[in-house]
Amino acid sequence: MILELSGIWKVFRLGTEAVEALCGVDLALEEGEFVTVIGSNGAGKSTLLNVIAGTCRPNRGRVRIGGKDVTKWPAHRRARWIGRVFQDPLRGTAAHMTLAENLALALKKGRRGFSLLLTPARKRYLRKLLEPLGMELERRLGERVGHLSGGERQAVTVLMATLARPKLLLLDEHTAALDPANAEKVLEITERLVGEARITTLMVTHRMDQALSLGNRLIMMHKGKIRLDLSAEEKERLSVADLVDLFRRLGVTDDALLLAGNGTNNAGDAYS
Amino acid sequence: MTLFLPAVEQGLIYGLMALGVYISFRVLAFPDLSVDGTFPLGAAVAATLIIAGWDPFLASLVAAGAGMVAGAFTGILSTKFRIQGLLAGVLTMIMLYSINLRIMGRPNLPLLGRPSALSTAVEALGLPYTWGLVVVAAILVLGIKLILDLFFHTEIGSAMRATGDNPHMVQAFGVNPETMVILGLALANGLVALSGALVAQYSGFADVGMGVGTIVAGLASVIVGEMLLRPRGVFWATVAVLLGSSLYRGAILVALRYGSVLGFTASDLKLLTALVVLGALMAPAIRARLRGEEA
Repeated sequence: MILELSGIWKVFRLGTEAVEALCGVDLALEEGEFVTVIGSNGAGKSTLLNVIAGTCRPNRGRVRIGGKDVTKWPAHRRARWIGRVFQDPLRGTAAHMTLAENLALALKKGRRGFSLLLTPARKRYLRKLLEPLGMELERRLGERVGHLSGGERQAVTVLMATLARPKLLLLDEHTAALDPANAEKVLEITERLVGEARITTLMVTHRMDQALSLGNRLIMMHKGKIRLDLSAEEKERLSVADLVDLFRRLGVTDDALLLAGNGTNNAGDAYS
Repeated sequence: MTLFLPAVEQGLIYGLMALGVYISFRVLAFPDLSVDGTFPLGAAVAATLIIAGWDPFLASLVAAGAGMVAGAFTGILSTKFRIQGLLAGVLTMIMLYSINLRIMGRPNLPLLGRPSALSTAVEALGLPYTWGLVVVAAILVLGIKLILDLFFHTEIGSAMRATGDNPHMVQAFGVNPETMVILGLALANGLVALSGALVAQYSGFADVGMGVGTIVAGLASVIVGEMLLRPRGVFWATVAVLLGSSLYRGAILVALRYGSVLGFTASDLKLLTALVVLGALMAPAIRARLRGEEA
């Protein structure tokens, strides 16, 4: 078992009001699983990822990664096992540092000393890693990451998140801020990198077609709970329309989400 | 030309302080005001120890160590206790005012006739006093600059730069951003205190008030250097800081010597310096407005 969440509760206090973001979530991920996560706004998807990554501590419940109880570990300590990509392409890279420096920092995850970050050998290695992306980024190692486009930056972020072979990859609507062509490209890169290294992945998306076509398991969250958990076989038999129907039966009335299910690719991009 | 050598001498010695300000402001993006306290802290520690008969090199090293402790304190206040960076620095600065008085026992300690680290080195190397000092200061300060450049290209130094750039990112790559801020502020204030120690020995006294406006002078050096060289990368950025520092000290010497013609006195210096910094900070907004963009 790579990831094991048991009885996770998370309540946020907004003034006098208490908002229940997660209400007793149990989730277990086997090695190599690629799980897509869908759910309406405020369903608790991002909080779930935050709890796993350690940037948010649950009020109750346990988080185990690779059998180890990491509930009380700070985010930077868990980081050696977790790769994460956010929706905002600016969040995953250091804009004022060069492409090579960014990649090398990701490569040296968790081990840091007084040796030089960039050696000629390491630069050659980084160039080899960038070539398969097909974006000609291998020629731009010395350029500041801030000069790259959103799509290029997000592709680099995905590469960085998978470089150190994490036990677990968390993708938080990581293509939602990109234009369709770039989103497609980044998704393709994600699938390839995840597949090559067989990294267990949890991917939040608001696009039902994506949730159905990608990965080998699908979970649906609603009001802080996991309401649906479909295996690869179950998933295969479903169409987007079936999924929308399942949603309706669960009482989800989020228009944006249902719109996103109507087969149009971009309707859901309006909200995130 | 009579002002050239002293401008470079002072530019180099104060340049260590400007390098410290560069680390906190530019590398860590942390507005650290503790430097107004750590600069005289370095002076106070070094002066007190030299008067007690210590070797001036050792005294300067201890002074730098004291600055590192004070910088780490500001860092701990801001990270572990979540006190706003500006306020954390101000608190350290104000505490140091009392501490510096305690260390010296009185507001001013003259060092006339006492050995100084730099002039001891000049004598040991057998250099003439006229240009010996500038050579020794250059070797010391450029040496420190090169070590800094190297440090910022190591794994840990790069992680520090990335922390100022994007703390979320470094956390995701297994770096504790809090540790980086504490380490970086220690390094920055160590340099500032070392600069204070050398300035006290250079000018022949330590004074509890000598730190007022250190941050503005440091920023002025950093900004002037950046405007002239537009550096990319750490190597040129630190060159720019030292160049800016020398120009700034030169401008002050000119103002002190010829300012009276225009009716300026030494007490107007801080106002003039702040106006220079203000002008440089306002320039981008003014330029944008002139081009008709929203500022």
